[in-house]
Amino acid sequence: MNLLVLYLLLLKATVTSFSGLTSLPVVRHDLVETRHVLTDRQLNAAVVAGRTAPGANGLYIVSVGYFVAGASGAAMGTLAVMTPAFLIIPLLRYLGARANRPAVKSAIQCVMLAAAGLVVSSTVPLARDALTGPLAVGIALASFLFLVLTRKDTVWVVLGSALIGFLAKL
Amino acid sequence: MSRVTLKRLTWIFLRIGNLTFGGGDPSMAALQSELVHSRGWLNAEQYALIYGLARITPGTNLLAFSAASGWMILGWAGALSAVLSMTVPPAIIVVLLTGGYEAWNSNALAMAAIGGTLAAATGMMATSAWQLLAPQIGRGRRLRTLVIFLAALVASLRFSMSPIAVLGVAALVGLVWRGPAEQ
Repeated sequence: MNLLVLYLLLLKATVTSFSGLTSLPVVRHDLVETRHVLTDRQLNAAVVAGRTAPGANGLYIVSVGYFVAGASGAAMGTLAVMTPAFLIIPLLRYLGARANRPAVKSAIQCVMLAAAGLVVSSTVPLARDALTGPLAVGIALASFLFLVLTRKDTVWVVLGSALIGFLAKL
Repeated sequence: MSRVTLKRLTWIFLRIGNLTFGGGDPSMAALQSELVHSRGWLNAEQYALIYGLARITPGTNLLAFSAASGWMILGWAGALSAVLSMTVPPAIIVVLLTGGYEAWNSNALAMAAIGGTLAAATGMMATSAWQLLAPQIGRGRRLRTLVIFLAALVASLRFSMSPIAVLGVAALVGLVWRGPAEQ
């Protein structure tokens, strides 16, 4: 896949999202469904890689780039994650005073709600691929409850689920 | 207030960006502690403004937050240094983790362990959706929260509506259908 096209597709995903995994529906639509250069399983693995590493959750885009085009793809992913960050500077200079306007706040809230719906929508096909038996379903439920109830680092979920999968196979 | 240099600023972002797990919120909390409380390079009002704007800037909140903090402290050099420090080293770790996934693809035990993490990923994504929804479930907002969440879910899952179109429609709805605090 042409690297410029990959960068622009990943940039489209990052620039139209407002937090880590809300770019996922756009990535899945463009790379899994439309262009078939990524599988659901790879996308799932990218989410795990992005959330296992330190720093921003949105870095799963780097892993997506790597799956599609190797190290060069990862570089395109890194650039696509970094680029929108600089949009805050003109916002800071010119729009700071307007951020608290009721209409703007309300629009942002509704975008976040819709983003939650889109994340659930993207989770469905990934779950079909990953939840292959009762153990996997149990791990998914336990992960959700652990993260919602304890606010502990995601890395514990990743390590714990890997250990359970490993022990179950022995 | 301690003296600001590009080297010191870069070191703070490198340290926090590469040692803080769990996504943007823990990292922003750690940066608040360093930049506002420990060193006084930003005041509380500047921090609040940056935090709020980072939430409405497209892309990754944490990187927008870093760009704005760096820019307020040391201009464009600070912004560039902060974003690079927060992105490049973790991106290398992500590539190594992804490469590990491909290399272990033929090992049954490794794949069983990875299978466990893939199942956990669906739980993580559900958590992500919940964290977006939870702040909006307050009194007087439940109907709007439910309608917009379900409409987006159905539009995407049942009618394959493009995510950008879904978000655009949601923003327009938000302009006219406000929660109690925004009326």
